[in-house]
Amino acid sequence: MSAPLKRETYLLSRVDLPDSHRLAVYKANGGYAALEKVLTGGHTPAQVIQLVKDSGLRGRGGAGFSTGLKWSFMPDPAKDPRPRYLAVNADESEPGTCKDRVLMEKDPHGLVEGILVACYAMRVKTAYVYVRGEYRQSYERVEAAIAEARAAGLVGQKILGTDFACEIWMHKGAGAYICGEETGLMESLEGKRGHPRPKPPFPAGFGLWGQPTTVNNVETLSNVPFIVLRGAAWFQSLGTPKSPGNVLIGISGHVERPGVYELPLGIRARTVLEECASGVWKGRSLKAWLPGGSSTGFLPAAKIDVAMDHDSIKEAGSMLGTAAMVMLDETACTVRAMQVIARFYDHESCGQCSQCREGTQWLHQIFARLERGQGRREDIELLSSLANGMAPGKTICALSDAAAIPTHAVVKHFRDELEEHVRLGRCPLASPHDVSDWVAEEAHA
Amino acid sequence: MTKITIDGREVEVDPKKPLIAACHEHASNVPMYCYHPGLSPVGSCRICQVEVKQGETPPRVVVACRTPVAEGMLVNTEAPKAHEARRQCLEFLLKNHPLDCPICDKAGECDLQDYAFMEGQGEGRSVEPRRKLEKRKSLGDVIVLDQERCILCSRCVRFFEEVTEKPQLTVAGLGARSTIETFADRPLEGNYQGNVADICPVGALTLKPFRFQARVWNLDKFASTCGECSRGCSITVEVLRRSEVKRLRPRPNPAVNQWWMCDHGRFSFPRFNTGPRLAGSLIRGTDGLEPIELEDALDEAADLVRAHGKPLLVVSPWLTQEEASAARELGGEGLFLSPAPSPLKDDFLHTGDPCPNRRGLSELGFAPVAPGEALERMRRAKLVFLVGERAAELCGIEALSTLPAWLRLVVFDTHPLASPAACVEIGVPDSCERTGTWINVDGHAGMLSIARSAPPGVAPLVRTLAELQRRAQGALAR
Repeated sequence: MSAPLKRETYLLSRVDLPDSHRLAVYKANGGYAALEKVLTGGHTPAQVIQLVKDSGLRGRGGAGFSTGLKWSFMPDPAKDPRPRYLAVNADESEPGTCKDRVLMEKDPHGLVEGILVACYAMRVKTAYVYVRGEYRQSYERVEAAIAEARAAGLVGQKILGTDFACEIWMHKGAGAYICGEETGLMESLEGKRGHPRPKPPFPAGFGLWGQPTTVNNVETLSNVPFIVLRGAAWFQSLGTPKSPGNVLIGISGHVERPGVYELPLGIRARTVLEECASGVWKGRSLKAWLPGGSSTGFLPAAKIDVAMDHDSIKEAGSMLGTAAMVMLDETACTVRAMQVIARFYDHESCGQCSQCREGTQWLHQIFARLERGQGRREDIELLSSLANGMAPGKTICALSDAAAIPTHAVVKHFRDELEEHVRLGRCPLASPHDVSDWVAEEAHA
Repeated sequence: MTKITIDGREVEVDPKKPLIAACHEHASNVPMYCYHPGLSPVGSCRICQVEVKQGETPPRVVVACRTPVAEGMLVNTEAPKAHEARRQCLEFLLKNHPLDCPICDKAGECDLQDYAFMEGQGEGRSVEPRRKLEKRKSLGDVIVLDQERCILCSRCVRFFEEVTEKPQLTVAGLGARSTIETFADRPLEGNYQGNVADICPVGALTLKPFRFQARVWNLDKFASTCGECSRGCSITVEVLRRSEVKRLRPRPNPAVNQWWMCDHGRFSFPRFNTGPRLAGSLIRGTDGLEPIELEDALDEAADLVRAHGKPLLVVSPWLTQEEASAARELGGEGLFLSPAPSPLKDDFLHTGDPCPNRRGLSELGFAPVAPGEALERMRRAKLVFLVGERAAELCGIEALSTLPAWLRLVVFDTHPLASPAACVEIGVPDSCERTGTWINVDGHAGMLSIARSAPPGVAPLVRTLAELQRRAQGALAR
């Protein structure tokens, strides 16, 4: 890396203030200035979309798609007068990810303002915030923020005395990971089972109740007021040219100081680990790590110098995902870790597509068998072969891919460890105490 | 119409239908489980993967049921990548399948079996225990569910949602723990439950009356028409060893019944299997009814015409156009028995009118008459020909025996009368033993075909009536 990245905190700039979730504190710290700027400053909706496009903001929900481009897919209301919606994806449930929670609990007005600006840009009059069911405090804080904003004339009719009207409704998820998939989320909002829809049609043409809809992540929307206030050039000055801006990196696992840290995209993973998280815990060394949540696949310790941006991590053979780093120290077994991950996808597959429904279960069974010491030599090839049958793009949504990617990764980077499990007929790192735990766990699964 | 190329052949296809429909129309055998032409495509089973090339982009493997056709699209259903994707999909579908084909009623007409044979790898790689679920869950009077065989294609769920518009089934649970269930374990209701067993691509939903009755490869199948109401659904009559009717199933006909039929019609077949049949002819002698050659029975009937003049014709509503025209030649007044409307009438298929050929018979000059009124009319006649399948049954066998002694009654029926009322009884074939046409409520012609031979000594009714007409010609001309 040539020049050191510019460090500046904005997303989390307010979270440590007392009562940061209250409107008064938010306003005192520059809150709702962006909304005022677009509503009364003569910005047309098209200009706001262009601004977000120019900023290069990429969605923070995992896929990293250009937010401005996504917004521009919404049809022109003059040609398509149907009602239109914004669905805010706050169903954060990827194992390892806990960044949206910080924003919703500590800075809910930032999200509300982001929603309002997005609705103005896309000429949406109704937004839904789909909050993960387990996030009770997030739900309560955002709900209270909306109520405060409504009382202050910031949500509802005639916002800030202009003709702009926007309602924001809350919805609580019921504990299914699949409802965080954008079409599964829309089905769930409609009151149906959260089964992802085949695409096409895409949400911008046929979304909630068949109407034009955009689905955005909480962190993505929380970036928007800052872009409006400080401009696209400022945003571009942070991060890398292709992945500008700051990102909330949640680091967890075997580290001294786990937490959510705001850092520019493109920061070296080692810097996050060593500076923010104070390194691997108990003086141990790093063995493997997930760069962006359970579905991104383990990278070996050797790749810790990779830059945390979309393209660099892709080059390193993984994905930025939600930038949720999970670190495993030298005492951890990657087979055991994969068993846990595979179990999660087995449990959360919606069951529509054959490959995913049967494949996630099968992967889980194989990893569990390997970890129990009942693996066969051919299981390793079988894992690759099954993962090839499940992805890429072979199913309605990406959950199947999310189970296949870490499987490929562990076969690629930790093949020796898999083979050792087969050769020894047991987990080389497990204590007998652990084994009894897994037997109980398996019985539960 | 949109021009696309399927397996090297340029064809014109309907742009409103998904790619899989175009493939099937043009004889490409793309497998399918969740897709059914009568239901909305959901694209969940993923078996219908084909390779598609559009423009300059490299070819992609897509599911044909959720891919719209586009001008100039190049479709390769036989691409190695498509075959590989389908093989992989089948391996997943078979991972938890119980493979109990030897005891499965679906074996022989099972899509899982057929496509596994076509595309599968022949050997399982799973050593994991298979799912243990309910093997024989009763879903009411008609359907039994085997959850272990189910591949969760959701056709049955969509059938009730989209076709009958009364949702009754759902997929419950997540992922590999999903099962098909009814709400609160309630039994299925309605007159269309049997269809879900037809559309089930595997042996998960089976018909109670057909369970363990026959191996489907022993059934001979004949295209025919259902006679239980004036809809005249196109059906297949399935006969075991050319004798016993084992099953009636709907045959796709977009003009009449699409892909469906009602349970009332579906389960009407036991009457074709009940005996004893009237094999040959009977005449009333000194010791009651005695067997007689058909020729002699016809002579006797002709003598009656000569003695009493033109007969009153009371015919069965199951008479075909051909038979009714032949009966018409006998002259005299023509009535057809029209029983009370059925309470099963609905706004889907069942018309509530039990006369499958009402429209045809009316066009030929037969007047509808309720069985009670028919009996009144018969009391006033000297000679009555009661013609066709179940005509006597509709009048009531007991009621027929109360007819005045001077009335001469000639019965043409499939079964002998239980009590003596007729001078002559002549055996006729039932609906599975004859060809002919019924005209349904909308004017569509439904064909009957011969699924098995009539009992010995029974000639086609058309020929019997023509012979009778020839013998009585002189008398009828008067």
